Formats: sequence, structure tokens, C-alpha cells
Amino acid sequence: MSAIELDIRLVPPREKHPTIFRTFDALAPGEAFTLVNDHDPFPLRHQFEATRPGAFDWSYLEQGPAVWRVRIGKQRA
Amino acid sequence: MTLALSTAVAQDLTPAGLAAFDAACRARGLDGLELEVDASGDMASGAIEAQARQLQSSGARVLALRSERLVRSCVPALARAAAVLAAPVSVPARAVAVHALPELAEAFADAGARLLLSHATDLDQIVALLPAIAEHSTLGLAWDVRPASEDLEGRGAVLLAAREQLGLVRLYGGGPEQREQDGRGVGPLLHELAMTRYTGPIVLHPSTLAVLPRWRRWLSSRGSAGCGAGSPLTRDGDFELDVRDVEPKDRLETILGGYRALEPGATLTLTVDHDPICMYHTLNATEPEGTFTFRKLDDGPEVWHAEVTKLSAKA
Repeated sequence: MSAIELDIRLVPPREKHPTIFRTFDALAPGEAFTLVNDHDPFPLRHQFEATRPGAFDWSYLEQGPAVWRVRIGKQRA
Repeated sequence: MTLALSTAVAQDLTPAGLAAFDAACRARGLDGLELEVDASGDMASGAIEAQARQLQSSGARVLALRSERLVRSCVPALARAAAVLAAPVSVPARAVAVHALPELAEAFADAGARLLLSHATDLDQIVALLPAIAEHSTLGLAWDVRPASEDLEGRGAVLLAAREQLGLVRLYGGGPEQREQDGRGVGPLLHELAMTRYTGPIVLHPSTLAVLPRWRRWLSSRGSAGCGAGSPLTRDGDFELDVRDVEPKDRLETILGGYRALEPGATLTLTVDHDPICMYHTLNATEPEGTFTFRKLDDGPEVWHAEVTKLSAKA
């Protein structure tokens, strides 16, 4: 089955983080999605750490200069 | 998933002009372009194929082709152009008659290419197309999404019906038009596309001709540091920073730059069009404990204000 990819570049500013959390929350434990963005989304990582501590893993697949790809996985319970 | 920009935004459609357009797309992090062609006359067919061969040899990244019209005499050349570029062609569903679809499918099969019929966010239109399309593997659907003028409430049913045949999504918006499309269903649509594991091309296209100049500025602006609309206040070295007109990708640096410029005891007042709580979490993680305070002055739904005060060094 192909991957879950969310290109957040197209989403209006106010909807960006809610859309990302919605996608994360829809994952089954052990699943992951790839977030595509036009800047380093590290503020989002801090928000994940504050709101979903220990529930996610975060690994960069591509780090600029024009595109960032991050694999965000949901930990198995 | 690949992201392309329509050559409707390009000013110069010569080979050199399209090469420069492709380079600008690359600098913007886009994966390629959608080539607009005009398959509407005998004169056109030779030109389309020649342009495709030229682009292919120049290494331009053509992810899709689109024609507003399709006349029968152009079909073989258009299919060959698509095969040369290894990219699907889309035409509006209303531009072709349902009874012509078997012949079109065969022409595209002969060339080794795929023809996508573009439709609106309209379940009835898709249901009418599906039986004719499902019989031919060289035919598929291209979804034209127009957040400015369409109700995207029906997107879930459209996605369910079209998903198997969906070869392309074209968004009339995004880019410099993101902010106007707030609350129009783009975020939920992208979420649903992701969850159905759609990884095909998404093409960005200006929503109207009137916004073309903004798209051209957006494409050529690349990533210069957004300076924002910051203005220092005279009193106590406080800053006000309205980042709503700063591109999302440049906002964090703008805000952090404003914060770093504060003298201890001074306050940065932020105006943003999204919940600034992510800034609080970022400062919490990056700044030493107890060196700032963060206070939301209001809480949306369209505009948020927050105050960040850098605390005086402890005596």
C-alpha cells in the first residue's frame, strides 16, 4: 500500500497545524505519515512534544533548502 | 505526491522561457510544471508534439499536460506528446463526448499514455463518467478543486467515488491565494487525500486571471527573508509585529528575530492569522526557563494577538 503523504504547503495558515494533528490522530498505532513543507517545521515538533508527549516519533527525510519532508509516526501503545 | 505549477503562470512560453519557469518552480520546491497546450486545430497537433520533444530533450520536468479543448485530428499527436513526456493529459470532461471515449482510449493505449477527464466537485458528474471510464485503463479522472467558488462539503463523497480512477488533483488556489481560502475546505481535503493514500500529482493553478500578477511575484520571490510589517514603538523598545502578510515559511524567523531584538523588559506584540500557541511551545523549548512570558490577548477565530515579554535578567 502506498504511503500517507500530507503536503501542508497548500493549506491556509490557520488550518495547517490542526490539519497535521488531525492526520496524526487518525493514524493507527505503528503507522506513520510523511509531512511535506516549505520550511523546517520544528515549532510543530515542540507542539507535538507539549501536547502528545511520548506518542510520536520524528525523523527528517529531506531538509531543505526548498522542501522539508518529515516522517511522523505514532508509537505503538 | 508531486506538486506542479500550471504554465498558465508563465509569461514566456518559448523553450527558454519554459526552462526558466521550470527553474523558478524548482527554487520554490515544486516538483515540476503542468504544460497548457491547445489541442483544437490541425495546426496545433504538430506544434504540440514538437514542443513536447523539445521539453523532453531539455530536461524540463513536465508532470502533466492540459488542454481546454480536444479535436479529433489532434488526438494522436497529443497522445504521442504525453508518451514522450511520460505524463498524463487532462481535458475537461465536457470537452469530449461519452460515445467518443472508446476511440480516445484506444488512441492513448496505442501511444502508451493516459487521458484524464477533469471534473468539478460534483458527484453526479463523476457518477455519469465512471461507467465509461472504468472499462479502459488508459482513461482516468482529474479533479478540479475550486475552493473560491465551490462548496467542498461534498468532497468526501467525490473522493470515495473517484479515488480508484483519480490520476490528478488540480487546485485553483494555494500559493499566494492560501489566505483567502481559509475555511473553504482545503485543509480537510488534503487530510482526506492523505488518508486515502493519494500520492499522485497535485497541480496548482491561479483561481482567476486577475490574480496572475500575484502568482508571478510569488514564484519569483523564492525565499527572501520575510521582513514582516514590524514597527518598533518608541516606548520602552517594544515591538509590534503583524506577520499575516509574511509567507508561512518565513514567519518563524521573523518572529524569533523580533524576539531576539528585544531588550530585557520589552514586549513583542504579535498579530497572526493562526493560533500562536506553537510559538509558545517553541520559545519554551529554545529559551532558558523563566526568561520570557507569553500571553494570548485574544483567541481567534480569524485573528490572534499575543504578547511575548523578555524578562529582565535576575539581579
